[in-house]
Amino acid sequence: MHGNRGAAAGFLCRLLVSAAGLIVLTAASLGNAGGEPAMRVDQGSAFFKDYQRPSAIPQPEDNPATADKIRLGKMLFFDPRLSHSGVESCATCHNPSLGWQDGLAKGVGDNGGTLNRRTPSILNMAWAGPMQWDGSASSLETQALVPMMSATEMAGTEQRVLALLNNVAAYREGMASIFPSQPITVANAVKLIAAFERTVVSGQAPFDRWLAGDASAMSPAAKRGFVVFNTKGNCAACHSSWRFTDDGFHDIGLPGDDPGRGQIMPGIIVLDHAFKTPTLRNIAQRGPYMHDGSQATLEAVIDHYDHGFIRRASLSDQVRPLNLTAADKADLIAFMNALTSEDPPVTLPVLPR
Amino acid sequence: MTGADLALFQMIKGAHLMNSRVICGALAALGTLSSGAVLAAGLATVDQRGLSFGVSSLSVAVGTIVTFQNSDTTSHNIIITGNGANLNSGLQAPGVAFRAPFPKAGTYQVICGIHPKMNMTVIVK
Repeated sequence: MHGNRGAAAGFLCRLLVSAAGLIVLTAASLGNAGGEPAMRVDQGSAFFKDYQRPSAIPQPEDNPATADKIRLGKMLFFDPRLSHSGVESCATCHNPSLGWQDGLAKGVGDNGGTLNRRTPSILNMAWAGPMQWDGSASSLETQALVPMMSATEMAGTEQRVLALLNNVAAYREGMASIFPSQPITVANAVKLIAAFERTVVSGQAPFDRWLAGDASAMSPAAKRGFVVFNTKGNCAACHSSWRFTDDGFHDIGLPGDDPGRGQIMPGIIVLDHAFKTPTLRNIAQRGPYMHDGSQATLEAVIDHYDHGFIRRASLSDQVRPLNLTAADKADLIAFMNALTSEDPPVTLPVLPR
Repeated sequence: MTGADLALFQMIKGAHLMNSRVICGALAALGTLSSGAVLAAGLATVDQRGLSFGVSSLSVAVGTIVTFQNSDTTSHNIIITGNGANLNSGLQAPGVAFRAPFPKAGTYQVICGIHPKMNMTVIVK
């Protein structure tokens, strides 16, 4: 298809529903170099429905959001006094100015030490499955707790966190109001943080507007990239749904001895060196990439999937040589750029003293 | 469908077009489930599609063999735990069915090891 596009070659893309009911993205050369794929967005098809944004943020039964939870949770998220040093907050690594990450290849702990993995974004975590690169946190509440108490990350302690919550009137009184007749606990504090984190949702991107019917919202290159993404590039095999992640764990053939998910679920070959599929929303703003921060650019990421991976027993069967052309790669980049939303700046809270 | 279309279809769907294959839970690996139960009490099928099991909960009689049919376009890896069981299907390619016997009463958790949001419960009575 696109890989064989010559000077006089282009392609027409169509969505067909086969007799068996399968949605099939097909392409045929029409001699329109660098042209626009003539795709018809069938919003009723399962293929496109899978890419449509949900209308509401899901809430866990044991921690439904309220305005007060979100307000107090946001304060705690930005409060460095939760850490041992008093200078590292959740937002130090999950910085809203950097896509809710830190822009570093590897995270940095409260003691200045370099962590083993890149800081994942908290973008759209309300819909996510197991958290962390290795899925070791089963909920957003647990995810909020783990780095706070990790000796290598925020190095907090229950005693220190409880002291902050009890000594600062706004926290003490706020928690008493939100959790009446309950003692102040770390477990309730992380519920507040999680409630705030669930509000961190990427906004409408050009891709969403195109999906909704605005044919001009994406460039021809981005539309071609969407086709490559779903066909030759095989990206959608794991980067699926509106968040562009299957919430799954895959060995994508990066070097290193980090067992990833294999350490959490030993004995399953395909989970050795497997890490969680990250969302691609706002991906152009969130480099460097991969769980180890080893790829500085999206171009490098594509080259990795095209031919740069290590072959081993645990390698995902979805990772295979792609033989992408330079044009394919440029189109994929254009498509991923179309996943960037223009979100309003995040307002920082004034922390209570 | 043209030849070019067919090639693309195959590229997209991969092994999905292959003939359906079956993995059976090896009895030797099922010692933790039960080694002496009658296995032919019944048959049930659970479809795997769209990174989800077709049902969130399934109640079956003791001895039922449950077939997990991978109708997805991606591979799965079924893990069955609970009630002393620890059964691993290994890589379950698209189109492949995994047959698991449930010879002992109890409640079992079934997840895909690769996609852990994909989970269900089997209740054996």
